[in-house]
Amino acid sequence: MCNIEKEQVFLATSTVMDPEVGFNLFEMGLIYDAIIDDECNIKVIMTLSTRACPLHQMITQWVKEAVEKIKGVGKVEVEVVWEPEWNISMAHEHVKDMLAGVLPPTS
Amino acid sequence: MLSISKDFAPPFKMIEPFFLIGSIFYFLGILFLFFLNPQSGYLDFNIVGWAHWFMLGFVMMIIFGAMAQLVPVVLEVGHFSVDMYYVIWPSLLLGTLLMMLGFLWSPAVLPYGGMLVLISMLVFLVETFMTLKKAERVTLTVKSVLFSNVFLTIAIVIGFLMSLALSGGIYLDLSLWLGVHVVLVLGGYVTLTIIGLSMILIPMFGLSHGFDETAVKRSFDLMVGGVSLYLFSAIVGWSFLRYLALVAMYVSVGFYIFQIWIIYETRARKAHDIYAKSMYVGFGSLSVSTVLGIVTLFSESEQIVLAAAWFLIMGFITFLINGHLYKIIPFLVWFERYSPLVGKEKVPMLHDMLPDKKSKYQFWFSAIGMTIAGIGLLVGNNTMFYGGVSFFTVGAGFMLSSVWFMLSFGKELKNKE
Repeated sequence: MCNIEKEQVFLATSTVMDPEVGFNLFEMGLIYDAIIDDECNIKVIMTLSTRACPLHQMITQWVKEAVEKIKGVGKVEVEVVWEPEWNISMAHEHVKDMLAGVLPPTS
Repeated sequence: MLSISKDFAPPFKMIEPFFLIGSIFYFLGILFLFFLNPQSGYLDFNIVGWAHWFMLGFVMMIIFGAMAQLVPVVLEVGHFSVDMYYVIWPSLLLGTLLMMLGFLWSPAVLPYGGMLVLISMLVFLVETFMTLKKAERVTLTVKSVLFSNVFLTIAIVIGFLMSLALSGGIYLDLSLWLGVHVVLVLGGYVTLTIIGLSMILIPMFGLSHGFDETAVKRSFDLMVGGVSLYLFSAIVGWSFLRYLALVAMYVSVGFYIFQIWIIYETRARKAHDIYAKSMYVGFGSLSVSTVLGIVTLFSESEQIVLAAAWFLIMGFITFLINGHLYKIIPFLVWFERYSPLVGKEKVPMLHDMLPDKKSKYQFWFSAIGMTIAGIGLLVGNNTMFYGGVSFFTVGAGFMLSSVWFMLSFGKELKNKE
């Protein structure tokens, strides 16, 4: 039995920033799911804001490394999917507000 | 799942010269405007020489450098052989300088400069076509890269033949083929490339999703049809077809502007940063240029032709290129110098790498100068034109300085290694 919770995985992915927009992947709504099996092997299901993202491979590598830091984790795999296609409604409210200029940007 | 490029970012040292040389040509090109007399007409050798300095040294140099990074991004495949880009900038640089020498002082030198430019472009074309062969998804952007490069191939062959004619080697109706050369380069290559790339880049930077793409598809078909018809009309000698071709191209631009409006309306990122402001001026200038272009269908006024060309090249193309430099250069520098440090130490975000004040000065001086000079051309007032060029020169100086700032950002990190 594995004691790692999905929330811990999401918290780990929130340490990975998108340098172009300045928000982390979790608050951008790019992390769709985390599948954890009994041996604590984790599969992160995520997407990117565009298929043409030039940092595609680096971002998936950073997610993998961030999740591997969780104590007791087994193998980590990251799968990038394009269905459902990401859109801004998937982002957290404060991200939407900052992008729309309702809230001031944070550095 | 579809495959994604394995080589999205080419070596920084390969692309850096394109941007640095392009920015120097840009600054000097704006400065050289003081030595031109707009009343001389567009067949004047000084004006033709300046046009080649600006289009080859700045526009093509920056586009080729940007394509080294953008081709894998938009085609979703790696380069066929990215090392070929090491040949492109030296031959384009030397060829452009020789062509300037030819236009200004010695026409006999023109074919030599033309040959070097031809070589640089052929290398670019071979690399691009071989990369295109690997593309798995045939999107509108892929098609635009394909067609624009076919038009560029024809344009440079015609340009080379014209350089032979100017040096006395062969006979060619220069005024007829100059028009075809300009349409192939500006409409067939530059505008079609911008139409294709902007369908990836503008939604990517604005975070726009789920918009209808019918307008841009119409725009693409009409631009390809219009440019092809213009070429055909010159070959068969039916001048009335040229008007039809021009109408098709203007309608194409109308659809394109409408598509950009749709993307703008659906964007999530509403910040009016230096990139967004540059796009506003760029697309505003394209609208002005299109209206003036339509007027030229009914008027013989050379002032209107010059003003339309000014707003197209110095407004639309220049502001789109400069705006994208504020996105592309920080990304390449960040990728080279900071991406290895992610997870180990705090790294800057891309917007932290912009020269805030310099970029603002660059934008305002350039936008004001470009507008005043364009109006000066339209009303035939040289004093107004040179007044606008004065502002534009200051703006170009800030652009050169901004490019240097961005290219040098974090250089000390690399020196530490």
